[in-house]
Amino acid sequence: MFNQFEKNLRRFFEKSSTHFSKGGRFYKFHPLFEALETIFFTPAIPARCPPFVRDGIDLKRFMSIVLLALIPPLFFGIYNTGYQSQLSGGNDLNFFNIIISGLLTVMPMIIVSYAAGFFWEILFSVIRKHPISEGFLVTGLLFPMTLPPTVPLWQVAVGISFGVVIGKEVFGGTGRNIFNPALTARAFLFFAYPAKMSGDRVWVAVVDSASTMISAVSGATPLAVTALLPSFETIESMLHRAGFTLSTLFLGNYPGSVGGTSALCCLIGALILIITGVASYRIILGGVAGLLITSFLLGIVSTTPLNPWADINPLYHLAAGGFAFGIVYMATDPVSAPGTHTSKWFYGFFIGMLTVVIRVFNPAYPEGVMMAILFMNLFAPLFDFIEIRFRVSKRIPNV
Amino acid sequence: MKTVKIKKGWQFKIAGIPSKQLKDCPAVSIVAFVPDKLPFIKPRLLVQKGDHVLIGSVLFEDKKYPELKFLSPGCGTISDITYGPRRALHEIVITLDSDEIFETFEKLTESGFDQIKRSSLIDRLMAGGMWPFLRQLPFRQIADPDSLPNAVWVTLGSADPFQPKAYVYLNEQADFFEFGIKVLRRLVDMVNICRYDEPCDKNNSAANRVTHRILGKYPASDPGVVLYHTKKTAAENQDWYIDGQDVIHLGKFFKTGAYPIDRIVSFSDGSSKNSCHFKTRTGVCLKDIASSPLNDQHKINDPHKRWVVGGVLSGYTSTRDAFLDPYQTSVMVMEETHESELFGFVRPGLKKISNSRTVISTFSAAPLPINSDMHGENRPCVNCGYCAKICPVDIMPQFTYKSIDADEIEEALAYGLLDCVECGLCSFVCPSKIELSDFLITAKHRYHKEINQVV
Ligand code: SF4
Ligand code: SF4
Repeated sequence: MFNQFEKNLRRFFEKSSTHFSKGGRFYKFHPLFEALETIFFTPAIPARCPPFVRDGIDLKRFMSIVLLALIPPLFFGIYNTGYQSQLSGGNDLNFFNIIISGLLTVMPMIIVSYAAGFFWEILFSVIRKHPISEGFLVTGLLFPMTLPPTVPLWQVAVGISFGVVIGKEVFGGTGRNIFNPALTARAFLFFAYPAKMSGDRVWVAVVDSASTMISAVSGATPLAVTALLPSFETIESMLHRAGFTLSTLFLGNYPGSVGGTSALCCLIGALILIITGVASYRIILGGVAGLLITSFLLGIVSTTPLNPWADINPLYHLAAGGFAFGIVYMATDPVSAPGTHTSKWFYGFFIGMLTVVIRVFNPAYPEGVMMAILFMNLFAPLFDFIEIRFRVSKRIPNV
Repeated sequence: MKTVKIKKGWQFKIAGIPSKQLKDCPAVSIVAFVPDKLPFIKPRLLVQKGDHVLIGSVLFEDKKYPELKFLSPGCGTISDITYGPRRALHEIVITLDSDEIFETFEKLTESGFDQIKRSSLIDRLMAGGMWPFLRQLPFRQIADPDSLPNAVWVTLGSADPFQPKAYVYLNEQADFFEFGIKVLRRLVDMVNICRYDEPCDKNNSAANRVTHRILGKYPASDPGVVLYHTKKTAAENQDWYIDGQDVIHLGKFFKTGAYPIDRIVSFSDGSSKNSCHFKTRTGVCLKDIASSPLNDQHKINDPHKRWVVGGVLSGYTSTRDAFLDPYQTSVMVMEETHESELFGFVRPGLKKISNSRTVISTFSAAPLPINSDMHGENRPCVNCGYCAKICPVDIMPQFTYKSIDADEIEEALAYGLLDCVECGLCSFVCPSKIELSDFLITAKHRYHKEINQVV
């Protein structure tokens, strides 16, 4: 049966290819056709210049591994979204209901994100006559996972459009963007529609099964809880009282963005990415180190509670607020990160450090990690520049 | 003996490594000289179609350096002279006589050698067609006889297991090798002999002359890599190098007074049955090597095969009717790329070769068959750093290629463009299928032309 399917598919593409090849009716849409065809069939292209043996990896495989690594947080996100929604809706907490409710909330976001993003991708590749890049497969999934589940779908579309067009295409497309497109999209929504992106009313979606309308109920995130902290309480006890123990934060079973709550799932994803060598362990470890060291030092120096997040156990920083998601999936985007080895350590370290600093000194931006990564994206070329200078100065010149 | 350990590179995992067995090739009826692979040489033809030549008769010389002669690898009648694109001399085909005669050159005895001066030794090497085997880094052109390099590097064996093994060609040739080394010592004060593979014959005196033991993965044995990891000053950049088999030829040339034309070539068709070393001659037609009666004829003659000469990763595509160029000693016949693959990118890749860990086969050491497929389409660079991670001479190919693209050649030179040993690993690993090494090599050649025009 499978062979029959393969044969038919092959025939279908062969037939249609005449319309899309040079001189054909739809030649303009050749990139689209090619993208579709190559999703099904890895084309056989003979090597033109040496070496005549090439590595089995290609960008599609590279990106597919990122998608694979996104599956644990995605599934957990669907579950958690459903769970929080059922919980606050006072509904039955059986697994089936939870999943259905989660899917009803999350899938439309993903579909809209992909649809709107691909629209721009196709438009640009038709105009610029270049093939559609696989990078968007990741961006299109990453973006909705950073959003609160209550976000209106039109904002998903607007956000991803901004991310693709301003975050990527104006720089010349894949490989030339300075910022991570998914984060650009996220930051855009954060600043353009702050009411929908922060506060304590956006994080739990309740699906009204009759109308499938999504409404928001109050469900505070751990970062929001502590922003309202009375000064006589320590942050740990405050978080505990609100139900956020370290293990809850680690497992991710609390209201938050769709994919970013579970540090555990991000850890699984990180392992996949590191074992396959797709993401740089230097950035991830550097980030974790930066976060822990900075929060530890801040804990030592702050005598009066200058901000509750200053003298918390550093592990809370690690588990809370989407840091794990950011450092594993966003900071490691190779295009917007530095390309040299030592720089990657610094880059990660500074992201971790800035995340803590933002959380401590400016609780108005609870998603410190997002700002930190975008800010460091800006400096990635500088890191590279410095390290390349340094390395070149070590070489025995050969001119 | 120094040990040089080179960390970066790629461990070959390709099936069909030639065995150390040495087979004789049957006699052939035509050979040819292929000038178009000679680096930076402009040939001035001195023969024409129909001429009769001996083994060692001059066929052509270099226009810029007329003392540099190139000799005939066969005795017979010149049956064809073909030209490639832009009227570049492509092949000089010689139909062999049944009894071949050698041109005679003056022999050198051990005592005669002690008296000979460096300059007259050079003259003899030039006239005897032996000089072109000495080459010079970083452009890999034929060594400049007017320069005096810091050292000459002799390479025995290769980290590419598809190249001939040193112990195969050194076998019973130790005397010639010794004499060849002696010749090199007269030319350059320091002769570094690098050995890559294990000597199987401990009594072979050549094995005792080794100065550098090279450890590491492909292309650790390349003189450029060894030089990069041992050099202390920029003055060493222009060192000379020569392959071990050609050193034997140097010795043979002076000891026998005849232009040596025998060659040991490693041949592989991807199967362990047919892949071994062949004793053949310079300029042989590729299909004649392979059509030894021992070989599986049917498979070799399949027109859908790709013939790669000069190493799996650094060689060039040839055809079965082409002739072996004087520098090359390895021939590989591989599968031409076949049909597209359904859902290729999500398949675990049990049979795919890869340096990355995204393909399951990476986790086992079993050798795999290869084909000439790109395994993906060209995409923009995503700055993944795979190329920089594998480059044996620490070039960051992604940045170097971008600066070449922006016409910043000075920048590229500072990044180490000229240290590039043309190994092809960067292109091999790139997930975006960017032709990095081709790009870098082209830029290097262009730069060579530029600086030589000014002078
Ligand atoms: S730049 Fe590429 S071809 Fe040159 S030495 Fe490095 S890996 Fe090899
Ligand atoms: S391997 Fe290819 S995609 Fe990766 S950094 Fe090098 S050139 Fe860019």
